[in-house]
Amino acid sequence: MRTTQLILASVALSALAGCASGYDWMRGHPDTAELDAAAKPALDVKVHDGEFAQIQQFVTPGGVSVWLVSEPSIPILAVQMAWKGGSAADPAGLEGLAELVTYNMNEGAGDLDSLGFTTAMEDLNMSFGCTASPEWTSCSVSSLTANAPQAMDLVATAFTAPRFDQGPFERFRREEEVGLKTRETNASYLASRATAQALYPGHPFARETSAESLAGLSTDKAREHMRTLMTKDRLIVTAVGAVTPEELAPLIDKVAAGLPETSTVSPVAPIDLSKASVTQTVVSLPQPQSLVRFIGPGIDRNHPDFFPAFVLNYTFGGGGFESRLMKTLRVEKGLTYGISTALDPNPSLLSWSGGGQTKNESAGEFIAGVKEEMTAFVVSGVTEAELSDAKAYLVGSYPLGFDSNAKIAGQMMTVRQEDLGVDYFDRRNSLIEAVTLEDVNRVSKSYLDPARYSFIVVGEPQGIKAPAPAE
Amino acid sequence: MKRSLAAGLLALFASSAFAEEAAWAPSTFELSNGMDVVVLPDTRAPVVTHMVWYKVGSSDEAPGKSGIAHLFEHVMFKQTKNIGPEEFTSIVQRSGGQLNAFTSWDYTAYFERVEKSQLGKMMELEAERMVNLIINDDPKGPFISERDVVKEERRQRIDNNPGVILQEKVLSGIWKDHPYEITVIGKMEEVAALTPKDGLDFYKQYYSPENAILVVAGDVTPEEVRTLAEQHYGVIKPTGTASTERKWKPVSPIAETQLLTHSDPKVRQPNWSRYYLGYSQRRQPEQALALDVGLEVLGGGLTSRLYQSLVEKQQLAISANSYALTTLHDEGPAVLTASPAPGISLETLETALMAEVEKVLAEGFTEAEVARARNKLAADAIYARDSQSGMANLFGGWLAIGGTAEQILAYPDDVRDVTPEEAIAAVRAVFGAGNNYIEAHLLPAEGDL
Repeated sequence: MRTTQLILASVALSALAGCASGYDWMRGHPDTAELDAAAKPALDVKVHDGEFAQIQQFVTPGGVSVWLVSEPSIPILAVQMAWKGGSAADPAGLEGLAELVTYNMNEGAGDLDSLGFTTAMEDLNMSFGCTASPEWTSCSVSSLTANAPQAMDLVATAFTAPRFDQGPFERFRREEEVGLKTRETNASYLASRATAQALYPGHPFARETSAESLAGLSTDKAREHMRTLMTKDRLIVTAVGAVTPEELAPLIDKVAAGLPETSTVSPVAPIDLSKASVTQTVVSLPQPQSLVRFIGPGIDRNHPDFFPAFVLNYTFGGGGFESRLMKTLRVEKGLTYGISTALDPNPSLLSWSGGGQTKNESAGEFIAGVKEEMTAFVVSGVTEAELSDAKAYLVGSYPLGFDSNAKIAGQMMTVRQEDLGVDYFDRRNSLIEAVTLEDVNRVSKSYLDPARYSFIVVGEPQGIKAPAPAE
Repeated sequence: MKRSLAAGLLALFASSAFAEEAAWAPSTFELSNGMDVVVLPDTRAPVVTHMVWYKVGSSDEAPGKSGIAHLFEHVMFKQTKNIGPEEFTSIVQRSGGQLNAFTSWDYTAYFERVEKSQLGKMMELEAERMVNLIINDDPKGPFISERDVVKEERRQRIDNNPGVILQEKVLSGIWKDHPYEITVIGKMEEVAALTPKDGLDFYKQYYSPENAILVVAGDVTPEEVRTLAEQHYGVIKPTGTASTERKWKPVSPIAETQLLTHSDPKVRQPNWSRYYLGYSQRRQPEQALALDVGLEVLGGGLTSRLYQSLVEKQQLAISANSYALTTLHDEGPAVLTASPAPGISLETLETALMAEVEKVLAEGFTEAEVARARNKLAADAIYARDSQSGMANLFGGWLAIGGTAEQILAYPDDVRDVTPEEAIAAVRAVFGAGNNYIEAHLLPAEGDL
């Protein structure tokens, strides 16, 4: 392990060496000296010198594929790890299992119990945690560069010797038990559940934790499921910080060393919203405002309609005050604090959706207003000026997404997860520039017809049809 | 101050990591018309964050006019002599910019984030609305619809959320007879009665260069900022109408201990809180810092006394925290809060939590736990540098309440100087048995549980 280079590379620590009152911090790494001379495995680093980030791609000696942006100006390091496969792969009846696995990842490892592990993280001024989304299991580490070797050592123990103790497991269940109650009055949750039940009932994306599924979970099942979710073959890593590839590679390898080589996670069957029947659903919730969500079929990134739709979305509801929905429903009518729309390019659930909140008394007017605007897009499309404004913003604002280490790490992870290619950042603006008015208005006509959209309302709305019977 | 070896070492790591940034320093200067300027260099991306902070907030509002500072902030996006209705946002976004604004008790800030070549244009726009705003007084016009927007904003932020409704009541109690008493967005009935003339009066009184601070963070040199700022802002004449005296005053001790409850059918999980009067970093810098360290130890994270006792060992709570709002100009609340585990009453929770607090008050903190809290707060200052807009907010917000850039730079060292004795002394002074407090119970509707 070559921690020497990492530590000494930092000006901070060469300064420290002169004033650390005789404390030899190297004692913490007795193997350093011997390995230093021997190990200089030539790391094959491919550098993509892009306009927005210089990305260094390499495979560690242990076989992990890493994308790194070296950024020396702040002495911090952020590492993100992700595996395809998440909570949608929970076995039927064990909903919540992936969440239990990720909850446990920083709850004790090796000799350290939950308190010991958390204390060690605090002593190192680092953070480490994992989460499960429907199709991804992800972990992230933040550390001061000076403490990075020790921080990654601690993270490695979480993968090589996780404890899955009973204490954290029972705490997880207590938290989940409360969560089952509070979600019943959470407007966003109720809207998402109503959407799933109306448009893709029975699909893994419509499954959720329940008292029964929580009762079926155990620490043994979590320990076993961890070996399904986190394997070496599916691991992708991105990092940004004050390190070089040579410094980072051995740290990543230590983390990956304990992972099984491979496992099988069944892919999620894609949902086709264009085949679902359109609905208008009301979920009753006692509060002054109604939350209105609307959702229709989306477009795959590889479809020729995708970039025209992406540009059109700015004028529709993605462009803040420049969108027609904001101009009409907020600025002109004063009906809402905000309304927005977004395209979701996830191939498992392609959607084009939006939402906003308005007082219950104006819910009917709000929905009618959204539908009128959508109809106007179908009938007359957008103007040349609107298209050029949209492109100017989308292209001009792109650098704003690369002004912090955290944003760059996140952007790179998206590119890796969606397999967009290392040159995607450099190609993206020209894909937007290439969109024509004809493209946009073709997409506008075929996708923004309100008849293709389901409306889900949560609150005590007035001016729309009576609520469906409660669940 | 005595430190354990391990803790001392970590402190040195963090300290020297910050010292490595010696080359990094903000520049501050003043334009001839009294407008202050702060430049925070960050060359990682060709991007700048441009902010104008006005030294006026909801605490400056006249009686009966609550919400005008915030509603006026919305109106600033409407129209000026040289920029047509709703065009301000269009111009910024067409330039690839993102923009917004926010209002607090102490200040109002406007910002644009743009590719660096657009900085001059952003200054031109902000300078224009500093002097040439037009407030349309059509009784059915844009001022009125914006008022409706703010009412929807209030419903969305506060009235939909039982926990926030209760908190609004509690904070009014903590700040009784103080300019912070009414929440920033204002009372619904007072907002509904605000007029275009109220907006115009507010503008004329408070919006002027000598009452503003320019903050530019990003890929730009202080010299470039100075040149552009002189060109766009330097030419604006000071009005002298903003009162140099803010309405700030020390917050009075809580007159009597009270219990406030809020029951709501949307509440499915009760919550218990106690609000005491804490310190402010402006008025009591040393005590406020010691309080922040002490509350980190008491109830800041997963290793804290409250979490370990209430959540882990006794399993009476699913969360237990302590924190203080020390960043306003005047004193803010210091809070103990917990949410019960299934089947546990608020009474049982309260008894156990206060027993733990009293034990800590009696026994004090250990050296090791205070060292951990100090290092966490100091390291947070390094992690914070990753966000360009976060840094602009940090400096702008602190300078707008009269602080200095040097104080922000000194923070990591200052926080490392807090001793266990100072930390526990601050916690004892705030949560001592003789102090009044406001207790808050968030409850389900009758019969719901």
